[in-house]
Amino acid sequence: MDLSGLALGLETALQPGNILICLLGVTLGTLVGVLPGIGPTATVALLLPITFNFDPIASLIMLAGIYYGAQYGGSTTAILLNLPGESSAAVTALDGHQMALQGRAGPALATAALGSFFAGTVATVVLALFAPPLASAALKFGPAEYFALVVLGLIASIALASGSPIKAVAMIVLGLLLGTMGQDLNTGVPRFTFGIRELYNGLDFVSLAVGMFGLAEIIRNLERRQSASLVTKKVRGLWLTRKDARAITWPVLRGTTMGSLLGVLPGAGHVLAAFTSYSLEKRLSRTPERFGRGAIQGVAAPESANNAAAQTSFIPLLTLGLPAHPVMALLVGAFIIQGITPGPNVINDEPALFWGLIASMWVGNLLLVMLNLPLIGLWVRMLTVPYEVLFPAIIAFAAIGCYSLGLNAWDVFAIAASGVLGYALIRWGCEPAPLLLGFVLGPLLEENLRRAMIISRGDPTVFVTRPISATLLLLAVAALVVSALPAVRRKREVVFTEED
Amino acid sequence: METTSIHHDNRRVRPRRGACRRAVAGVAGLAALSLAACGGGSGGSADSDEAVDYPDQEITFVVPFSAGGPTDTVTRLIAEPMSKELGQQIVVQNVEGAGGTVAAGQVATAESDGYTVLIHHIGMSTAPALYPDLPYKPLEDFKPVGLITDVPMTIVARKDFEPETLEDLIAYVKENADSVTLANAGIGAASQLCGLLIEQAVGVDLTEVPYDGTGPALTDLVGGQVDFMCDQTTNTASQIQAEKIKGYAVTTPEPVEALPDLPTTAEAGLPDVEVGVWHGLYVPADTPDAVVEKLTEALAVALEDQNVIDKMADLGTAPVPPEDVTPEAHTSKLEEQIDLWTPIIEDAGVTGT
Amino acid sequence: MATAGRRRPFVPDLLAGGVFVLLGLAFAIGGARYDVGSALRMGPGYVPLLLGGILTVLGLVIIAQAFLGGDQPARELADQERAPVPWWRAALLVAGVLYFGATVRGMGLAPTLFVMTFLVALAGHRSGVVRALITAAGLTVLCLVVFVYLLQLRLPLFGTWLGR
Repeated sequence: MDLSGLALGLETALQPGNILICLLGVTLGTLVGVLPGIGPTATVALLLPITFNFDPIASLIMLAGIYYGAQYGGSTTAILLNLPGESSAAVTALDGHQMALQGRAGPALATAALGSFFAGTVATVVLALFAPPLASAALKFGPAEYFALVVLGLIASIALASGSPIKAVAMIVLGLLLGTMGQDLNTGVPRFTFGIRELYNGLDFVSLAVGMFGLAEIIRNLERRQSASLVTKKVRGLWLTRKDARAITWPVLRGTTMGSLLGVLPGAGHVLAAFTSYSLEKRLSRTPERFGRGAIQGVAAPESANNAAAQTSFIPLLTLGLPAHPVMALLVGAFIIQGITPGPNVINDEPALFWGLIASMWVGNLLLVMLNLPLIGLWVRMLTVPYEVLFPAIIAFAAIGCYSLGLNAWDVFAIAASGVLGYALIRWGCEPAPLLLGFVLGPLLEENLRRAMIISRGDPTVFVTRPISATLLLLAVAALVVSALPAVRRKREVVFTEED
Repeated sequence: METTSIHHDNRRVRPRRGACRRAVAGVAGLAALSLAACGGGSGGSADSDEAVDYPDQEITFVVPFSAGGPTDTVTRLIAEPMSKELGQQIVVQNVEGAGGTVAAGQVATAESDGYTVLIHHIGMSTAPALYPDLPYKPLEDFKPVGLITDVPMTIVARKDFEPETLEDLIAYVKENADSVTLANAGIGAASQLCGLLIEQAVGVDLTEVPYDGTGPALTDLVGGQVDFMCDQTTNTASQIQAEKIKGYAVTTPEPVEALPDLPTTAEAGLPDVEVGVWHGLYVPADTPDAVVEKLTEALAVALEDQNVIDKMADLGTAPVPPEDVTPEAHTSKLEEQIDLWTPIIEDAGVTGT
Repeated sequence: MATAGRRRPFVPDLLAGGVFVLLGLAFAIGGARYDVGSALRMGPGYVPLLLGGILTVLGLVIIAQAFLGGDQPARELADQERAPVPWWRAALLVAGVLYFGATVRGMGLAPTLFVMTFLVALAGHRSGVVRALITAAGLTVLCLVVFVYLLQLRLPLFGTWLGR
């Protein structure tokens, strides 16, 4: 609220020891996050024990650093190898990987880094100024509002596909169905688990993503006779051109706004932020057909949204003591180990910690840009590794990554299964991104639908009598109408594979 | 010697063989390799020599829930002093799934040499009722090492919920049984068990609203979307202190230090609602007694560590009294709890299968 | 209309539609076997049954589309790159991944990883047995260094099948 808090925070965050810890955190986070199949949540879980020996502020600065560092690293893998480590990176992979294949990995990575830095800076200010009001706004979201929000998100995600909309819808529905696998929350009945106890928690997102994006992509690449290296065209520059910079300005701004707001919502915020901002850019673009074929706006918007949301998702945790995201739940554990009770009083009881953490996020974002921009050259060179060495490495890393997190062999089998299914569907003109988003949002959709109906005692009007929910559903209907408009559909069919 | 009232057939799952056969079927070309490996596998259980130099390598503590959760936190708290006492590193491994039964199933069939230790909570006693096809028997496939802590629970409500005291709540719930909503953190969660006890004690059948874990449930309680719930002090204490939610009572026989204003359920009129999230350590059943003894000793030392006591106090809990840090006390707690929960869960018709 | 009628059905659409119908029916039938409940009190089968039904219908629409000219972008894409399915290469990849899942617990990370990377590397265009062996050895060492040495993951190098 006041700037004295931020000043105290900067004072804390800029202590040399804390800068060092922050640097360590973001570096570790980036390095682990870059490994295929290991996203931010897994990275934090993996590195959590390292921080137990530090003092509370240092340990939280480091954990937060690991979290957004891993998010950066995850985008790098999504762009270079088409392997998203978590749902929001799946959106980045759409255009980012196409750019990489066209020899434009450098600009794609630079866009991700700069967009994220800008978003992170803005989100830090948002966090410092508006945390309490945003937190209480988030509390207004009950089950009915979440259901409406997810419906809106799903309809927006039709735009993720550059091909046939009806296939995109079918893929979303298939994703929703795959999301129902596992133990039913309300009754405990295991659904579609074939008696396998390891499947009670459902399919793992990482397995599905690694299979559908990574493995399927590798099989597709093996279709081609020549496969000396992944990049088919000459690498054209590592840096943004003036044209690129102009193209990404608005997408970054809009993505940042979307991310800062949606990030506050527990559960779905950062996923919805990434792909609604992508859909928005595609709708606003004069050349929507370029999306999915290496449009730089398709990297800028979701990356900014994603990173802004990563920052503001700390709001419910810091102001209310409520974890909004699996990573935040891990941080709650870290707070407790450090002897700090997470809760609504942290801001008053531990102002140095609260503000120090917020300020350190900005410092961390700055460090990340400084760390990542020079690394771009290195990453791009990695793409020139002979493909017959690169793809076994991708598969090996992904398999170990998936297995190591739950020691669950079925997570590995799921890679193979989703790889085969994904390859077949891609060959038949169905793109995997909508399926992945359906999969992530499916449990939220079902849980909140059922929960809302239980709370309203079976009265379905609850969705339209609550103002937020009604507004969101209205927007969803509008989005559906827009995507059904023939004019929009005609534009889709124009195919440009080359940019001018 | 402890006796158990539960009979079972002798079907023990042998995952090594099964997994191996799968591999052979799946990858015919590698059959020879895998078979050779199967043949060469050591089948021997721990012999007495092992106990003498135990532990001479790092020990793995398997946590059946996610890193950062309350059980994980308890584990990491005790792992450090135990590791010092045993002179070996202790590695905490999180194996999630199916209400903790995946991890328990893995440890049940792990090498019984004391290097794989399971930490589990109240869920150990409710799993047989929740999961009729459980691949292990809590009382027969494990040796309890000792109890760790008994985390109290609190009965809490949204800030503007009408009843002011537990007595009010009982009356209110009886009167408005069809409009009151009771949140919980999902099937088999401690919050659900506690809710079932309340419903049984009051004699009502309320509308339960399940959530995927405590975090979301508490979020909706703070946001006023649901009426009341039961949850561990770990999660609720700070919210009650900050008056974001209303606390009615703690579910333990003794009041909780962190929440001095809350009466116990016995004092406030619900003596039958007594539930704590008790945690204990287990090793596979064939583990030599000498090894168990060493683990028990180390656990006892860890629970006297001032840092552990302090951190547990922050969580609103405390180590169990020293006489409960024994295999015997742990075994009888487990038996008693299985007998308590099995009928309640069956009556409520809750099932995980 | 006339041109669409003359065309043979577009095969990728037929297949995609077919898979959606099959999976939709599987989930719907599977869902119906659980308690479906009512719209007011949904059981575990309600949502799968509903969504499975929707997917089936969508699949049928896509099949119908295949007879009416097919999905245009997919058709163009299919014309562009009508590469044959790399059957045995794909089979090697899948076998490698399945082998890893099936044996990593019992055999331990090191041998499993080696066999897996060997199988997978064999799928490359320019790799014979010798090159695949070299790739496998190199990757095994690299992965062990990264995951076991640097990240300190608790994955036993050699599993219980090989004795302790």
